[in-house]
Order: sequence, then C-alpha cells, then structure tokens
Amino acid sequence: MQYTKNEIKKGVTLHYINTNKFKTNLYAVFLAVPLDRKNVTKNALVTAILRRGTNNIKSQDLINMKLEEMYGASFDCGIEKTGDNHVMKFYLEAVNEEFLPEKEELTKKCINLLFDIIFNPLIENNGFKKEYVDGEKEHLKQIIESKIDNKRAYSLERCIEEMFKDKPYGLYRYGYVEDLETLTPQNLYEYYIDLINRGKIDIFVSGEIEKGSIENLVKENEEIKKLKERIADYKIIGVNEKNIEETKTIEEHMQVGQGNLVIGLNVNKKDQNSKFVASVYNAILGGGANSKLFQNVREKESLAYTAGSTYKKQKDTIFIRCGIEIANYEKALNTIKKQLEDMKQGNFTDEDIENSKKLITESIVGISSEQDAEITYCYSQELANEFITLEEYIEGVNKVSKEEIIDLANNTLIDTIYFLRD
Amino acid sequence: MQLIESLKIKEKAYIEKLDNGMTVIIIPKPNLDKKYIIWGTNFGSIDNRFIMPKTNEEVFIPDGVAHFLEHKLFEQPDGTNSLDTLMALGLDANAYTTNDHTAYLFECTNNFYEGLDELMDYVQHPYFTDENVEKEKGIIGQEIKMYDDEPSWRLYMNAMDCMYKENPIKIDIAGSVESISKITPDILYKCYNTFYNPSNMIMAVCGAFEPEELLKEIKKRLVPKEEQGKIERIYPAKEKEINKPYKEIAMEVSTPIFAIGYKDIEGMTADIVKKHIAIEILLNMIIGKSSKTYKELYESGDLLSKPDADYEFSKEYAHILISGKSNNPIKIKESIENAVEEYIKNGLDEEQFNRSRKKIYGDYVVEYNNVGDIARMFLADRMKGINSFDYIEKFNEVTKEFTEEVLKNVFKKENMIMSVVKGN
Repeated sequence: MQYTKNEIKKGVTLHYINTNKFKTNLYAVFLAVPLDRKNVTKNALVTAILRRGTNNIKSQDLINMKLEEMYGASFDCGIEKTGDNHVMKFYLEAVNEEFLPEKEELTKKCINLLFDIIFNPLIENNGFKKEYVDGEKEHLKQIIESKIDNKRAYSLERCIEEMFKDKPYGLYRYGYVEDLETLTPQNLYEYYIDLINRGKIDIFVSGEIEKGSIENLVKENEEIKKLKERIADYKIIGVNEKNIEETKTIEEHMQVGQGNLVIGLNVNKKDQNSKFVASVYNAILGGGANSKLFQNVREKESLAYTAGSTYKKQKDTIFIRCGIEIANYEKALNTIKKQLEDMKQGNFTDEDIENSKKLITESIVGISSEQDAEITYCYSQELANEFITLEEYIEGVNKVSKEEIIDLANNTLIDTIYFLRD
Repeated sequence: MQLIESLKIKEKAYIEKLDNGMTVIIIPKPNLDKKYIIWGTNFGSIDNRFIMPKTNEEVFIPDGVAHFLEHKLFEQPDGTNSLDTLMALGLDANAYTTNDHTAYLFECTNNFYEGLDELMDYVQHPYFTDENVEKEKGIIGQEIKMYDDEPSWRLYMNAMDCMYKENPIKIDIAGSVESISKITPDILYKCYNTFYNPSNMIMAVCGAFEPEELLKEIKKRLVPKEEQGKIERIYPAKEKEINKPYKEIAMEVSTPIFAIGYKDIEGMTADIVKKHIAIEILLNMIIGKSSKTYKELYESGDLLSKPDADYEFSKEYAHILISGKSNNPIKIKESIENAVEEYIKNGLDEEQFNRSRKKIYGDYVVEYNNVGDIARMFLADRMKGINSFDYIEKFNEVTKEFTEEVLKNVFKKENMIMSVVKGN
C-alpha cells in the first residue's frame, strides 16, 4: 500500500492511497465530532439531509441522474460510532477512467460532486429546504424504530446500550425520536455550520490516479477553499477509562422463536500492546470455526447455530453472541462461562495460539484487497493518532505470548449479560 | 485451455473441461493478494426428485437434503472437521446452498495449496454415520428457527408461494424441523454419489495464478471416479399463471416489508444474457434511484430507501422481485404498475434509457473488483450455461427496441404478485 497524507488546511487532511488493484476509484470524506447526547440525532439528520440536494443540483433525483451519467458512480453516506466519536461518512465510487468505453474526465466530476453534496447544501430562508428536513425526519424516525427488526443486531445494540449506560458510546448512532420535534430547518442549518467549522475533516482518495493531479483537484475546489482552519474537535480513540462494576443481567421479551444471547466483556488494557493480545485472545475464544465458543457451544453441545465473539478495539470490549434455543439459556451461559474460565487457566494450546494468529494475519493482509477496508484502516489510525503499517500490525500480533493472553484473560470481566427471549 | 476475454475491461478467463466431465474456470488477477476458490455441484434445494444414472432408481428426498449434505461434508472419519482445518490454516472458509447449487469455498492470501489439499479432500470423501447425522439435526434445527424469525426470509418464501403452485423453489433451502428428521446416512450417500460426480461439478478460481500450473495441481488432487450418465431430474410441469396475487402475514416488524413480483412465464430464452441486461435497465428506469416513481414515493414518505430489484432465474423458474419497506405497500405496487403501463404505452425515453444503460454498465465493471465476487459470478453463471463476460460483451446489443420487447413480454399485469409482512 502506498499511502501518503497531507494536511491541506489546519484540521482538514487529504489522504491518498495509490493502488492498481481495482477497476474503480473510491473517494471519501469523513467528518468527526465527539459523541454526545445533545447532538447525536442532529448529526444523523444532517447527514441524511445533505444527500437530498445542493445549491447546484437541487434534488436527489437530479443527483442520481448525474451519478448514472457518470457510469453508475455510486454515492453513499452513513453515520458511525468510532470510539467516542460520531463520524459522518460520505463515499463516492466510480469506474476508473481507463475502463470506460469513451474518454471522460470522471475523476474531476467525482471530486466536485462529492464536495458539492457535503459543503454546499441547498439553502432556502437561512435554513435547509423545509420539505427535505420534514421528509428526512420521518425517515429517521422509521430507521430508529426499525431497530427491533433484526433481532441479532438489536440484541447487540441493546447490550452495548446497557454496558455503556449514560456514556457516549452507549448512544444509538441514529439518535432518538423524541429529539426530532425541536429540530427546524433553521436551527439545524445553524448547527450544520458549527459542525463544518469545528469537526475533523478527512478526505480519502484511493485508486490509480496521479497524485499531483488529485492534490490540485482537491485544493482548487471552491468548497475546499471556503473551509476554515480549525483545531479539530474530536476524541482520540484508544483512551478508555473503566470502572469495574458488578455484572448486569438484562432480560427482554419479544415475540421470537430463537433466543439471542449477548455478553459484553470488559478488557482492561495495560499498554499499547494490549490490543494485539486482546485480538489473539478474542480469536481463540470466539474468532472462527476453531474457537472455543464455536467448538463447545455449537459443535459439542449443539446449543446454537451461531456462536462467536468480536473484539471492538476502539472500546476495549469483546461481545460474545449466540443464537440459542430459549430453554437452553442456563446451559449455554454455563458453557460460555466455562470457556472464559479455561482462558484464565490457560487451557488452550500453542496450536490454538498459532491458528488464531494466522486468522488475524490473513484478515490484516486482506485489507489491501478491499478499497473501503483500506480507507477504514487508515482512518482508524488517524483517529488513534498513530500510524502502524499493516506489516507492523502483523508483527505485533505474532509477538503475543501465552502468558500475556492468560494475563489479559484474568483482567477481562463480564460486564453485561443480555438475553432476548419470548 | 480455452481462453475467453473481455477487452473492454481487460480481463481474461481460462476454461477447461476435464476428461471426467468437470469444468474448471481460472480467472487470473495478478495484482491482488487475495485468492478465492469455489467448487460447486449442480445440486440445490429444488432437486428433490431424480433418477440415479447408475441404477435407474427413482429417488424422492425430504426437503433440505442438499443443505444438510453441505453441513455434513465437513466432518471427517478421524473426528476432525474440515472447516476447522481450513480456518486453522488462516483461510476464510465457508459453504452455502442455493436453489440450484451447493458450493464449497475459501479465500486466502497465503497457504492456498494447503487449503486446496483440504478442500479437495473433504469434498471427495464423505463420511456420514447415524450418530453424526443425528447431531447435525440439532444445529440445523436452530438455523431453521433463525430463518423463521427473519421477516425478510418469510416475505421471500411467501412471494414464491404467490408465484408458483407447485415448484420446488417453494421449498425452504434448509427444509423444516420435520423434514430433516427423516434424513439418514443412506439418503445422503445416494445424493452424494449422484450429484457429486465430477461431471456435475464446476470449479472457479480467481487470483494471482499461472493457469496451466494451477490446473495441473487441481488434476493431481482429483480422485478417479467412474463416468456417470446424465442425471435425470424430475420437476413439476411449468405453470402458465401465478398461484395467487397476494399474501400477507403479521410478525414483529416496525414498518411493513413488501415483495412485489412479476412471474416471467417465458423464462430462460436463448438470449438470456441480453434479456437479463434489459430487465436490469428496465428495473432501474421503473424504480431505480433516478426514476420518477422512486422520487415521488420517497418524497411522500412511502419509501425509506430504494427497493432491491432483482431478476432470479433458472431453467425451472424465472421472476422479478422488487422488495423494500413501506407503510403503504399497496401504493408502491400501484405506482410500479402505473410506471410500467406508461412505458409500455409511450415507449422508453431515449435519454433516460441511455443513462440507465451507462449505470448498468458501470455496475457490471465494479463486479470485477473482488476475487470472491468474480469467482462466485463465474460459477453461478456457468451453472446456468452462461459466460459471465457476455454481460459486458453483449451490452451494446441491448437496444431500446429490444428492451421495449422485453418490457412487454415480462412485465405483465396478470403475472404480478405481492407478499407483505405487517407488524403485529
């Protein structure tokens, strides 16, 4: 991966990934601010409104027509939690000029369109267009309410909410229905101006394009010229305070045939290397088909179809997730606890460690085969205020010893047990 | 090896039909670190009645056998599980079953040949016992329950019920708790011996490979098997009309979800690729992001996001499905109906048609970004007798006139159905 970055203005950074592996170029803009209850719904709503129209291209269908003309370039936006930041993400993907049936200046068109959508929204009467605000409020309400539709995702979301109660990370990324009422085209626009002026802005370009031309296209863009210098307001990730409390057990009832069990674990981080240890620990515990959870909960006991765990590096947490027969709750929970205990006692083999390291290494090496994964990797480094290359990351993982894993296991505690049942 | 090529997107594929009847497709991608291999048999959930070529015995199997077999193939006589072995090599391994095929695959950056050893070993060496078959019933039972709680899966199955009276596509891929209870090692062996014969299998590989060399490695690992004749599959006769126009159920969802379908009676024609491209262009014009209908429904708050629209087809079934979320599914159906009617009456708008074509062309090019997408596409297309590059190469032959013909033949009001899942 050939990666360079360049602060083009204080608080506004251009990242460039030169790669010839794809048929497409990918352009992305990320806007980050600290997660906070007061603004969480506004951030989600503003993101949705921006895609509706700009002062140049006034409606979504016109934007979509433009995208279709650009050989089906695709625009997408979304909102995510990364550590304690709320990140508004905007992407534009388009076929590389080389593979077009006719010659066209597609790169320039892409950059200009993307910036136009984010930094030049359609304004009427000192506010966003009312019709767009009303429409997006209704949509956002439906999105928030549809949280219950996917039971697996819902259960994880609820476990996170309980685990980080009253803390930024416990907030729902789409916000809350009760906030919507107070939001008007004018006060939202006012908020948007503040957001653009204080947020951390990162622009990513990935593909096979000449670096100098990209820099010029970005710097010469009128919207970029208008951006103010700023001391970006965001939270550096990887700094987490933990107060260990008693394990919380939450049970929720819904009309379901299958029970969803989610267990949130707190990893007590010692130093920068802990993230490598934790990722190996997690892979042994629930990383794949060889993991203790998959082997014992699914294969040996036949208790579940899904059984595994995920490590959320940015928050030093691990989530165990199983879909189980409701009557088997106790049995499944005990089997899981037994696996955690085994980890503490060091009841795993050198082979388990080696397999887990291979699994992690594969996924790290694979990052450069996916354009968006590569961007996401670079961005999480940017937010953590460090830069570890993929090679260094792999090296860090390979250095992890059994003692370190056992030590981490003994500093990993169950924080929340969440069960969704009938 | 036969070379096929797409000059427009600068991609190549090598195809070889081996002496034992197996087809191998190799798509070289010299720049990528990732490698992907997928080995599939033309045996899916719809193949529930067939005549075994060697014995001429007619076999009728319980629903869910293809999927059950997929699960069981990983199990080895020494108690190990091949999925674990592959994962232990650091490979991302998996398998899946669809209506018309079952496939075993892995993706990796390193250890490709170690993975190939294991993959080709377990797929060619089944091991089914009473005990291991019984155990699997618990796991698959949980998987079935997971799907039962999935509103989108129920929506899809109900759409199939609206479309077809008697067609094996109505069978749940995993079967039911009841149907899988009847599965025995004997049934699994019968199906294995019939459908896992090389002549019924295709392998597709994508990544940085030298094709001839890779082919040699694959051949080396093949277990010699007797040539078997054609498998005769027995399906119900094709129906000329839909089963019922509407089906609705209640489940725990916040907003109703809908699937609107057009049953394509004519089905797979000789120029199926062109027809498929035309349908994708049409779907984009009817309910795509820049369509008038989508704009109106989005602005009135009846649609939250663009509905998914797909053409699903094989020799036994063919239909279009448009699915999404809405508080007013009936209105969505009427709007689509009106849009179609208008296009039929007035013809397609030239400018809009050309724009849609550009978009669909771009979509096809993007498919070539990822080794997994490429290999899966070549496998699935080949199962239907299609060369994937034709989607790029035949693109220019899809004219406005041709597309208008397809519109008239496929988007018929009397073949329209709708399935809805409402909240409680």
